[in-house]
Amino acid sequence: MDKKSKNQRLAGAKNWLGFVPFLLFCFAFEFVPIIFLFRGSFIDKATKGFTLNHYAAMGKAIYINSFLNSVKISGLTAVIGVIFGTLIGYAIYRLPSERFRNALISLSDVTTNFSGAPLAFAFVIILGMNGVITQFLIKYFNYQLYPDFSIYSFSGLVLAYVYFQLPLMVLIIIPAFVGIKKQWQESAESLGANTLQFWWHIGIPVLAPSLIAGLTLLFANAFGAYATAYTLVESQLSLVTLQIGYMIAGEVRHDPGIGMVMAIISLLIMGLSIAIYQISTTRVRRWSK
Amino acid sequence: MGKTQIVKKKEKVRPGAWQIILIAGFLFYMFIPIISTYLFSVATRWDRTILPEGYTLEFYGKTFEASYFLSSLRNSIILSVSTIFVSLVLIVPTTYWVHVRLPQAKPILDMLMILPFGIPTVVLALALVQVYNPTPLGHSPVLLIGAVFIYSMPFMYRPISNALNAIDAQTLTEAGQSLGATTGQVLLKVIIPNIFAGIISGSLLVFATVFAEFTLTKLILGARFKTFPLLLVEYTRINGNIAAAFSVISFTIAWLVSILILWVGKKSQGASAEAVRSH
Amino acid sequence: MSYLELRNVFKTFANVTAVRDFTLDIDKGTLVSFLGPSGCGKTTTLRMIAGFETPDGGTIELDSEDITQVVPNKRDIGMVFQAYALFPNMTVRQNVAFGLKMKNTPKDQMDKRIDEVLEMVRLSETAKRYPHQLSGGQQQRIALARALAVQPRVLLLDEPLSALDAEVRVVLRGEIRRIQSELAITTVYVTHDQEEALSISDKVVVMEGGVIQQVGTPEEIYRAPQTRFVATFIGTANQFFGKVQDKQHVLVDELSLEVENLEGCAAGQQVVVLVRPEYIQVTTQKPERSGCNIVSGVVETITFHGAVTRLGVNANNQRIVADINVSETEPIGLNQKVWLLFGSNACKVMAVDK
Repeated sequence: MDKKSKNQRLAGAKNWLGFVPFLLFCFAFEFVPIIFLFRGSFIDKATKGFTLNHYAAMGKAIYINSFLNSVKISGLTAVIGVIFGTLIGYAIYRLPSERFRNALISLSDVTTNFSGAPLAFAFVIILGMNGVITQFLIKYFNYQLYPDFSIYSFSGLVLAYVYFQLPLMVLIIIPAFVGIKKQWQESAESLGANTLQFWWHIGIPVLAPSLIAGLTLLFANAFGAYATAYTLVESQLSLVTLQIGYMIAGEVRHDPGIGMVMAIISLLIMGLSIAIYQISTTRVRRWSK
Repeated sequence: MGKTQIVKKKEKVRPGAWQIILIAGFLFYMFIPIISTYLFSVATRWDRTILPEGYTLEFYGKTFEASYFLSSLRNSIILSVSTIFVSLVLIVPTTYWVHVRLPQAKPILDMLMILPFGIPTVVLALALVQVYNPTPLGHSPVLLIGAVFIYSMPFMYRPISNALNAIDAQTLTEAGQSLGATTGQVLLKVIIPNIFAGIISGSLLVFATVFAEFTLTKLILGARFKTFPLLLVEYTRINGNIAAAFSVISFTIAWLVSILILWVGKKSQGASAEAVRSH
Repeated sequence: MSYLELRNVFKTFANVTAVRDFTLDIDKGTLVSFLGPSGCGKTTTLRMIAGFETPDGGTIELDSEDITQVVPNKRDIGMVFQAYALFPNMTVRQNVAFGLKMKNTPKDQMDKRIDEVLEMVRLSETAKRYPHQLSGGQQQRIALARALAVQPRVLLLDEPLSALDAEVRVVLRGEIRRIQSELAITTVYVTHDQEEALSISDKVVVMEGGVIQQVGTPEEIYRAPQTRFVATFIGTANQFFGKVQDKQHVLVDELSLEVENLEGCAAGQQVVVLVRPEYIQVTTQKPERSGCNIVSGVVETITFHGAVTRLGVNANNQRIVADINVSETEPIGLNQKVWLLFGSNACKVMAVDK
């Protein structure tokens, strides 16, 4: 009896061994560096002693601003993405032609991954000083976009971010619409509810976890973005990711401890978003059982 | 009771105006930047007119003259292929093992695969640089491959995990073992052929992701290892037309990979549907 | 005057006729089931009663009121679906309350009514749970409670048990029948399961190809099928194709079968003789009796069905199945020669439609 349970434990331990190589890789390139980062954020570079100075330094306007800018652009593009992505997703979901529907879903799959330099540059081509749409507006509407608007500014970056946020939301929300069973609508109707009452009492509450999941994922998606911002607004707009980038590249003389603190705070913000995203999708899965 | 008689409206089959407007707007947003980039890359001059004044292919010729063009392409391919290799060696067996032998670790694996979404690439780069730069691994392509692997592993994991779920790997493994095969033999001869479409999709996704990777490459290796996206960013500040030609190359690769993924997905679906029908 | 009347109801989908010329009277307080294979139009008919489909022709009257064009939420009809129809975002109590809320029922009346119907389906203790925390059978009980809470004029059940396990199915169909008779609520029950239909209905409507094949009590449907479809769809029937010989005989190949009720059939007419397996007696010795049909053959299959054992017998290359009660007969083995006996009153003759 005792021997058997020992054997079982041995077999169990052997099974865990198969998981070890992958775990080691994750430790080497993910966990250990991040733990060091966390530790580093509390260490004074000169004295090698414990310090909270790096965290205290976050009160400076430049850092507060970069966080505010990052949160603003992520929040704004996430909200725009959720609202329009949901509407577009519903329009696509209700299309009678399955082929057209699938084509639009595939398109969203591709375009949500278009980010970084090629995307940023494409927006310069259409909305830069001499961009196509800029020219078009001058010629046909006699409307000067510049200097009120600039693609190299906050509003320009919003346009570029929405480009990949919108299709991402479409991809998140279409399965949610599919998940709303026709029988729920029919049950509600036979119980005396009209269409509006159905959406208010059942449709929207059932969609809510997907909307929250979308909002948090889109927020994290924009918050962590670097390449698009680097190409478009490098020196014009202070964002957290850009600031951290400068510190690594050593382009700006900063205490590395400051960079680590910014990294830790970003990790917390992103981690929280992803955690909420996870909880929401778990709820979606439970409901659609 | 029920005295009110409300005539039911006939159900609409054709898309409504609101639908057409939303979808047209979406298509416009998605396509205008891309089409403009394609046009810009073949335009002689396009800063005073709505459509280009003339067309030329000279910028594509110039891309080849651009210093670093071929070496950056080569570097990008080296990086993508090595990452795919590491992913295949690590993720396929691990995912299979967890599915079949260690199901209690499935939630842990799922969590590990979501974690990279919660780590901004700049933070990952900073963390790696801080720890490894004082070591021989610092500034080495190995460090970059490790970083890119972490960043791209969810893309390999999801198709493989889905494929393993779809074929009921547990039962297939038990069937294989009851016929005298070892776990390794089952993986190679039974499981991998059956999840091949998932492996291909995962590899293509990793390829697309890593080929377009900019942040980690720039911040970990910088000028020491110039990949295609780094060159592109550089040229957006030197020559717009050539940058557009680079963008077109980048977009085209993304389109091709997506079409391939769709094709592989359809092919494998068709094959399994056929298998069901022939029974 | 019956309570629910369907007159010449007709419905096509994309040029395929789903239901044609459907005329049926349903009496108040009875349970009527629509029985047929999938695609026979039974669900479409139910959905037209509920208002989810509009008939292309004909009328539906409920309590002398024409409801053909009334929207579903004004019909006062309760519906239970196959599965997954509970609202996932609401607790059991909120689900049951939904219909009452839509009717602006006062709070105290609402609470009383919810308690009543939950009591009725014997699930009062689940009130605070969410649907995903309930078993399939419990979910369907709650769906039933939700439909009944608003005291609908008619209860419609669309294959309510087909997603459940066999054991739960049997228990729940008894529950449905009990509650239906207690409330004396007019009920239409759609199913493809003949056992289910026969066991709980006052009347069964057998449908095929969008057309009513037969309407009758379960007993009538089983004992006196009026079409070959009904005879073969309900239970099992051996089919002997042949020609009418005279007033009492049908010639099947070389064999002459003695039958009853051949009035109205001309000699030489193509007919089919239907014989249920339980009406066939099996012996291992050549019987001396006369006055009944005797066919000999070789046992090819023996399948145990619990109460009876079913034999598959090859008689001149015609396969005949017969049910025997093992305790009453001498043991029979495979490849054994047997004689099958059945009286003329066991034979049901039907004309073969061209």
